[in-house]
Amino acid sequence: MESPTSRLLESATPISQGAEAKVFRAYLHPSLQRSSSELQSNASDIREPILLKYRFHKQYRHPTLDTTLTKARVAGEARAIIKCLRHGVNVPGIRMVDATEGVLGLEWIDGKTVRFLLGGGAEDEDEDETLEEGDEGQVVKEDPLKEYGVSQDDIMGMIGSEIAKMHSADIIHGDLTTSNMIVRHPTPPKGVQLVLIDFGLAYTSTLAEDKAVDLYVLERAFSSTHPASEPLFASVLSAYKEKMGKDWLSISKRLDDVRLRGRKRSMVG
Amino acid sequence: METFRYTHLPAAHAHAYVALFDHVSNAAHLRQRIVRASQLEGPEGDHEREAVNFAFVDARLITSILHLQTAIYQAILAKIQGSLRTKTVHSEILWALSPNNNITEAIKRFGVSDSTASLIVVRVGPPEMSDIEHRMKTLVSGDPLPLTDLTKLTDWFAVRKCYKLNADPALKAPGLSIAQQQLAAGEIVVSTVAMKSIAA
Repeated sequence: MESPTSRLLESATPISQGAEAKVFRAYLHPSLQRSSSELQSNASDIREPILLKYRFHKQYRHPTLDTTLTKARVAGEARAIIKCLRHGVNVPGIRMVDATEGVLGLEWIDGKTVRFLLGGGAEDEDEDETLEEGDEGQVVKEDPLKEYGVSQDDIMGMIGSEIAKMHSADIIHGDLTTSNMIVRHPTPPKGVQLVLIDFGLAYTSTLAEDKAVDLYVLERAFSSTHPASEPLFASVLSAYKEKMGKDWLSISKRLDDVRLRGRKRSMVG
Repeated sequence: METFRYTHLPAAHAHAYVALFDHVSNAAHLRQRIVRASQLEGPEGDHEREAVNFAFVDARLITSILHLQTAIYQAILAKIQGSLRTKTVHSEILWALSPNNNITEAIKRFGVSDSTASLIVVRVGPPEMSDIEHRMKTLVSGDPLPLTDLTKLTDWFAVRKCYKLNADPALKAPGLSIAQQQLAAGEIVVSTVAMKSIAA
């Protein structure tokens, strides 16, 4: 018999696919069906979609190993997210987990990626987790930031402050890019927020080294996708510095080292 | 009573029938009846167990319909996949809601207790269980409410204590309004229930 989760995936709309997982948009819970005695309508039963991240079977791995790895990765991603939530980092909430099938259901974030808002162009198909870009076809010359009521600098400040909150909780994202950040559309109840997504490579560490590398990866992402990125990234760092307080010093020193040598540590000696 | 219909689930567990009652007066009796049903033997026991074959959830600890739905869904999923950690899909709902792995504690905290005043009754089953609403109403003496009133009955103090949210920086950030705190708490609670099956 077909599993419930694979039937759910069949009903879902594909969004994007990477090497590790496919991402879908789906409806999990039905809207409330009222019995005849309680017919009054209520605004709270509008259905909300969820995002499904499906780590499909890898043909090149032994099936047993594949299941174990997939399960561990789903669990790891969920744990990083709940830790972020408890520390007040803006991340999508968890909606369902089927670790056996390799599926993680997350809150659907209505908004645009920072990459899109900074004019970084369309998402590449190699993104692991992205938003749907429904209106991408039409050429919208108007500044998309207007709709969100925030300036570029506001967004940079929000990025710095979210990363600082995450690093203070000793969570390393592992893949900070402008496509892994969504500015939530300013609709109630949550309003405009910078939301960090895709914790597939996240892990826990207290080391200044790991936090510095996390920042360095983002710096490289900025310079490779956005023109004139130096002042942008500088405002990210200044917001980060402000939020980190005394921990900034050691991370800053490390960041300078990392810039000289690159993301990987030298293995010489 | 409301019905959640899951079209992608096999028919035997495709529907969740849910009713909310306030001012419940027979909680103590109900609890005793459930305990007794579990101990009776023979056909009489089977009959009595079927009569109380529901999940009884203390409504005070439920923060939103999504919170309840998440627990119900994860319980049904476990039932279908044969990975139940408790004996029935209904006790599994209580276990899914609980922030720790102790089954007895989950039932004590989230189930019906002698002092329970507001109660959610859930029955997972096939479509067309026509007499279910009547059975719920004969079982529970209280005022039936639409499920959307659920959030009016939430005891946020108890929720915070139960899910150990008081130490969380997410709720301690300066300048958060009560509504913002509840939004953050609700998100943590739903996520905790959703990932119960893989919690460390």
